[in-house]
Formats: sequence, C-alpha cells, structure tokens
Amino acid sequence: MAWKRVCSVDGFAANAVRKFTVDGVEVVAVNLGGDFRVIPPMCPHMEEPLGESGLYQDGVFTCTKHLWQWDLKTGAKTGVAERDIKMYRTKVEGGELLAFIDKPLEYEYVEE
Amino acid sequence: MTKRGLASVAPEGAPSNNAGFAGGRTTLTYADRLSMKITVQTKAGARTFDCDPNEKLLYAGLRQGLALPYECGTGTCGTCKARTVSGPLKPGWRAAPGRSYLKEDRGEFLLCQETAAGDCTVHVPGHAPAEIASLPRPAYHTGTLGAYARLTSDVVSFTLAVDPGMNFVSGQFAVCAVPGVEGGRAYSMVNDPGQTQTLEFVVKAKPGGKLSEWIFAANRDRTRMRVFGPLGRAVFRPEENKNILCIAGGSGIAGMMSILADAGGAGYFAGHRGHVFFGVRTAADVFYLDRLGAFAAACPGNLEIAVALSEGPAPEALKARHPALRFQTGFVHAVAAAAMAGKYENIVAFVAGPPPMVDGALRMLIMEARLSAKDIRYDKFG
Repeated sequence: MAWKRVCSVDGFAANAVRKFTVDGVEVVAVNLGGDFRVIPPMCPHMEEPLGESGLYQDGVFTCTKHLWQWDLKTGAKTGVAERDIKMYRTKVEGGELLAFIDKPLEYEYVEE
Repeated sequence: MTKRGLASVAPEGAPSNNAGFAGGRTTLTYADRLSMKITVQTKAGARTFDCDPNEKLLYAGLRQGLALPYECGTGTCGTCKARTVSGPLKPGWRAAPGRSYLKEDRGEFLLCQETAAGDCTVHVPGHAPAEIASLPRPAYHTGTLGAYARLTSDVVSFTLAVDPGMNFVSGQFAVCAVPGVEGGRAYSMVNDPGQTQTLEFVVKAKPGGKLSEWIFAANRDRTRMRVFGPLGRAVFRPEENKNILCIAGGSGIAGMMSILADAGGAGYFAGHRGHVFFGVRTAADVFYLDRLGAFAAACPGNLEIAVALSEGPAPEALKARHPALRFQTGFVHAVAAAAMAGKYENIVAFVAGPPPMVDGALRMLIMEARLSAKDIRYDKFG
C-alpha cells in the first residue's frame, strides 16, 4: 500500500500551505477549504520552494517568484505559467490527510 | 566568427566580471575584433545574433531585438537560465546568487553572466513575456555623472547625461557600471520617461557592493558611467485605465517617482485614483518628500501618498513640513493593507524594494487584495 499519512487535518487552516516529509519524500500540502492537495515541494518553473513562496487563494495557487499560477482543483496552468503542476492523489480518513505516494513526483527541469 | 571593425567593438573599459560590461582593455588584439555568432534555440525556433568579445549573451541578444527571458539582468534572480548546446562559453560572476537555480553539471548557465569565446549554440527553455517586445529596445550608453547629492546617510542621487539619449518607459531600470570598478548594478530611472538625454537615479548603499562603495566614497560628479538599458517590464501603461497602487521600500521609490511624474504630467489622476505607500525605517531615512508632497498637492483627492516608518511614529515637525503627505507607523505592506481594504477595484499594483518587503507586499496583494497576477508589476531581484 502506498497511501501514506501526511498530517492531521485538525488545525490545518483553510488556504494554508504547509511542508511535510512523508517517508523521506518532501511534499507541500494545501487546504482548499476542506479539500486538500498534496504536490511536489518545488515550483515546476525554477525549483522555487513552494513551502515558502506558494500562496493559495480562491482556487488559485501562486508561486510568488515569477507569479506562475495554477488551478489547484485540477493542477492546470493558468496565467503566465507554462507547465501544469503535478499532484498526488489524496483522501481524508479519520481526520488524517493521506496521499498516494509510490515514488516522488518530479519535474524535468532540463528540457531537451 | 565574423570580422568586425574596431569601431563596432563595444563597449570597452568596463569590468569583465559580475554584471559589468565587456572590454577592460584599451588595446584590442586581433581576437577582440571578432564577434561571435550565438544561436539561441527556443520552443519558437532558432535565432542567431552577434555577440561582441566579453559581452554578456543576454545584453547582446536584447540589444538586437531578441525576446529573451530575464528579470534582474544582474545575476541574482536566475530567470535567464539557459543550457549550452555547443561552443565555448566564458563564465562570469562565479558567486552570482542566480546560479543556485542552475544544474551546472548539465551545462546550465545564466545569459546575464556568461560571455562567448567563440560561436555558440544555446538552448533557452523559458518564454520571454510577450510585453517585452512592445518596450524600447535596450542599448549601451555612456553617461557623465552630475547633481551628485547625499539624500540620507545611506542614499545618494545623481543624474547621468547620456549619449546617445535613451527612450524609456516609467518603471524601467538600467544596469550601470563604472570603468575599473567590479560589477554592474541595476537602478530604476527616477525621472519623467520618454526620449531623454538625462537619466536620474537614486542609490541606497549596499555594504560590500563594489559599485555602491565607489558611489558612496566621494562626490562623483563629472565621472563617466556606462549604462545598458532600458530594461524591465514593471511599467506604467496608461492605456490600461487602471487605478494605481505603489508600494515601495527605500530606493524602490525610484521607479514610482517616474510613474508619478509620467501619470501626473499627463493628467492621469484627474480620472484615476493613485495610492502610494513609501516605507523607510525612521524619520532620518526619508527622502524625496518635497517632490512626493508636490505630486500629492497637484492632484488633491485623487492621489494619496503615505510615508510608513517601520520603527516608530513620525515627529510632529516632519508631519508639519509635509502637510500633503500622510505619515503612518509600521511595515509598508501592512500599512498599505490597512489603508487599502475595500479599495482594490480596477487596481494595478507596482511593488519595489528590499526582497522581504517585496515578498510581504506580494503576499498581501494576492491573499488580501486578491489581485490577479497580471495586475501586479514588479521585477524580481531576489
């Protein structure tokens, strides 16, 4: 089984962006308001750490480095972003946020 | 390589490292007369341009009209990263903070730092923002310093009489370098934009910065400076018909002064609102208040300018001297957030200042003001 516990949803404020290490895999979790997303820790643009530079508001996730933005319901790029954001499958069970982490989701930063 | 005439080998006499410009020698060898052919591969296809000896690839491409991605142009932000495909590059500033974004073992480098030692092919992964194509094309200029003035203990202003003149848009910056002084620095133009023979700059002391130390060591009137510009896309566009919000810390007020001169001079505030927040630490750190007061007084009711002092309230005497300005206590982005609540309709926001202030302001504009990214203008320097 690769469903893994990320954190308790208790005390996880709406719109908050938080960093976790799950079985050695760094992730960033976002509370969309009862619905959660778990994403890789780096911006797909220039590897900016999203735990620090990521902001969530009104369905849109923003990396403040270059204002790349994504619809965090789907991970689809919006605005000036050039790549979609990757997301782990998530579910909430017994007050715990779980993510399906088989192996770390990563971006290819050197394009061929 | 292409043989070039001596006259076209430009510029000379500036440092060859950091963000300075090409050259460094007055006697040119045969090799110096050759310009390199740089081929840039992008998603949109390949383009080739000339690059002079010791010229940064970014500047060479931009002055020839290529839309290359960049923000700071001086090695800190990493936005201009590219990957070498073939040909010899010469490394520039080894300690450039923007290198932290590179995988150097995979051939990645910063266009704003590297120069070419021969014909090169490079791959640029990012897109240049589309609006760059509509802005004036940058070029090299030589300028003579004048009107050197110390505004506070760590802020200096000066003008540069530039030849040829420069056409810039309010909010843009230029990279300045002094022959024999290591490194170049990006400074925003303070004055009214357009085609001009005079550029005005305001500089805050940067401990350890070679150019900053040079500027602050003595009155530098009548000395020569090299300038590459204009650069930057955090510009005022009156045709957008937006109300203006400016949040500036310290010398970040520079570009806002140009925007206010531009907008005020065109009567923009007769039909639009302007909100300006200028943050410094203490009453001893303020500058430009007379000019800001004149802007506010010329547009009563529609242009509000507040000075935020982070370390305590403004003395009564300071307030009395500047009746057209408001004085408040706190970090400038927090002061702006409190004053702007409910006033974000049809706003375009300009942000400039030290990186922590810029980050605080961006957070406020996205989370509280809920502005769209397209309505937030800033050039990332950190």
